[in-house]
Amino acid sequence: MARIVGGFGISHTPSMGMEYDKGMAKGFDPRWQKWFDGTRAVKAWLEKIRPERLVIVYNDHLNHFDFDAYPTLAIGVAPSFRQADEGWGPRPFPSLVGDVDLGWHLTNRLVRGGYDLTVCQDLAVDHGIYSWFPYLFDTPWDIPIVPLAINMVRHPIPTNERLHGLGKALGEAIRSFPGDQRTVVISTGGMSHQISGARFGIANEALDEFFLSKIKDDVQELVDIPQEEMMRLGGTEASELAIWFSMRGALSDNLVERHRYYTFPAITGCGVIVLEEKAA
Amino acid sequence: MSNSVPFNLDPPGTYIYTGEMASKGYQLTRFGLSLRKPANREKFLADEVGYMRDAGLSDAEIALVRTRDWTGLIQAGGHLQAMLKVAATVGQNLWHIGAHNAGMEVEELMKITPRKVRAVPGGKD
Repeated sequence: MARIVGGFGISHTPSMGMEYDKGMAKGFDPRWQKWFDGTRAVKAWLEKIRPERLVIVYNDHLNHFDFDAYPTLAIGVAPSFRQADEGWGPRPFPSLVGDVDLGWHLTNRLVRGGYDLTVCQDLAVDHGIYSWFPYLFDTPWDIPIVPLAINMVRHPIPTNERLHGLGKALGEAIRSFPGDQRTVVISTGGMSHQISGARFGIANEALDEFFLSKIKDDVQELVDIPQEEMMRLGGTEASELAIWFSMRGALSDNLVERHRYYTFPAITGCGVIVLEEKAA
Repeated sequence: MSNSVPFNLDPPGTYIYTGEMASKGYQLTRFGLSLRKPANREKFLADEVGYMRDAGLSDAEIALVRTRDWTGLIQAGGHLQAMLKVAATVGQNLWHIGAHNAGMEVEELMKITPRKVRAVPGGKD
């Protein structure tokens, strides 16, 4: 059966991707150099833990889906996932490799288990994954992924409890997949930020540090915080932190924290926390 | 608008994108998202008003786009992510939208961002 060897939560932002491209070409802006340096340990951990599958819970920003039909919970089941054009044209990266067998396995288990996913056999992926993925994985990208997309662009968004439960069901589903693939579960969502309204640019580092300090051992305390409270204190898009509960839910309670880093370069709190299964 | 960032979710500080907003701004959001395709961006740039008429926008909505009234567009139900496609097409970006929303010049907003606040759940604001 597939083995979950660990997981991590990480922020995403469009500028994180653009600044990576600029930084690799002609040196990083000092504010982004910190984030680049802060993610080196995650890359080293991945090289040590050698995942063979990645299950990534993220959110689309109206770059693939539109409001003709916007799924609350969706899964990508396809041999590859191309990069979405967000309006400025795509960045110079290949498509992501998908695992169709694992995708259908997770779909079967999750739908039968009460999580009614919209299945996408064609899914363009935006900065939700593309902004940080190049920091952590060298091309060619050959580790197959299964992406799950969560609605964060139009309320109502799924509850904290629901996303935590989705993670638990996801963990069980991964652990029942034939084979012994070393699997890493990733959740990604911006930390404190708000990108519209007069509160544009709000930055609550204390809130983000609080979240990072609790997610390993006190996740229920975080799940119990109303989403409106997170939005009030950390900006409307801090609600994306709810996605991190899926990663945590997929892991056991027998974890070692391998790395944590946090900085606030521009508009979004940029944090990462790596949790490894002791049994890995 | 000063640099004070209130701890509430009321306009004009915050516009929550609800189902009601999605219905109100359905055409506007749909128009913005049509600009995900490069060919549509070219068509729009060649004839903004004609493109928007074909997209079914009202005169009022067209005027908001023509004046780059990002705040008005968000209030009219245009989703931020969709309006961002419009901004990208006309050579602007998130900062232009943010500055318009915050009632500042772009440079001014960039200077004061990140706008640091400090509060945790259960604590005092």
